[in-house]
Amino acid sequence: MTKRVFSLLAILVFAFIFAGVAGGYSERQTLSPLARHYLTAVPQDLGGANVVTGILITFRGFDTLGEVAVLFMVAASVGILLGGSPTQNRTNQAPRPSELVENGAKIILPLIFLFGAYVIMNGHLSAGGGFQGGAVVASGVMLLVLARPGTGLHQGFLSVTESLAGVIYVVLGICGLWFAGGFLDSHILPKGEFGSLASAGAIPVISALLGIKVGAELSVVIDRFRS
Amino acid sequence: MQELVGSIVILVGAFFLFSAGLGLLRMPDVFTRIQAGTKASTLGNILVLAGLGIYHPDWSLKLLIVAVFVLITNPLSSHALSRAAHAVRTPMAETTVVDALRDADEATKEGRA
Repeated sequence: MTKRVFSLLAILVFAFIFAGVAGGYSERQTLSPLARHYLTAVPQDLGGANVVTGILITFRGFDTLGEVAVLFMVAASVGILLGGSPTQNRTNQAPRPSELVENGAKIILPLIFLFGAYVIMNGHLSAGGGFQGGAVVASGVMLLVLARPGTGLHQGFLSVTESLAGVIYVVLGICGLWFAGGFLDSHILPKGEFGSLASAGAIPVISALLGIKVGAELSVVIDRFRS
Repeated sequence: MQELVGSIVILVGAFFLFSAGLGLLRMPDVFTRIQAGTKASTLGNILVLAGLGIYHPDWSLKLLIVAVFVLITNPLSSHALSRAAHAVRTPMAETTVVDALRDADEATKEGRA
């Protein structure tokens, strides 16, 4: 009885809060000066159609580098915590995945990887970017691990790929310091035609590197949790 | 007219999605819940997508791709989930009559022995 009363009370409180939020909301008619600055500066100055990616990779590129570093540290600490103990091979005891899962994964996996690559490559044109696309690719790796427990991921290859992508990312940033306005400035490559795939300076290159790095890192984390 | 039909189809889809949620709450055990959620939400998703396709005919191709993806992944993932639940011997509702997967497993074991 008291449980029911509490649930009712909780629902009423939430209803009150959301009614207040919904009632007090009015759509903003004008852009704030900061928003207007970004909305004009990103397409004109950087040549990118997606304002968010322009801000993320160029204007606050240093911050994005920090985020990638945080992810790298997470992957490294997971590796230390889970990789140290001798790995017991438990895949033999686990029941085989059913035929449906095995065959379904064959159909869906290429689609997932294709979608991940699309999201990574179109980060400067539409919604998406390196982080999101990398996460999609890693989810594909997760499906692969689930559908075929016997598949071994090549940890060394993944680590080298990930480190290379990170090194090239930083080198591109230093190139920006040398040839353009500052660290991670995307003007080191020509702006290109607005809206085409090869446009917006170095943004697509950095986005692709981010995607490779995030995808490889998350795949390593998934593989660590398996053993 | 077109917008009206599209809206009605979306509303019917929303009803099926709602009944999926209701099934999750009302069903007695894991397997019946998975079954209710999967069937109703697959149909609801398809109906919502179809309604959107009627509403915006120029989106139909993309919506069709999404629908095919839902049709492949939704039953597959619940199949994998319920098999996993069966493998760790999740208790079934007391009214359960037949367990075909256990019978099949035992049959293969006897065949091997």
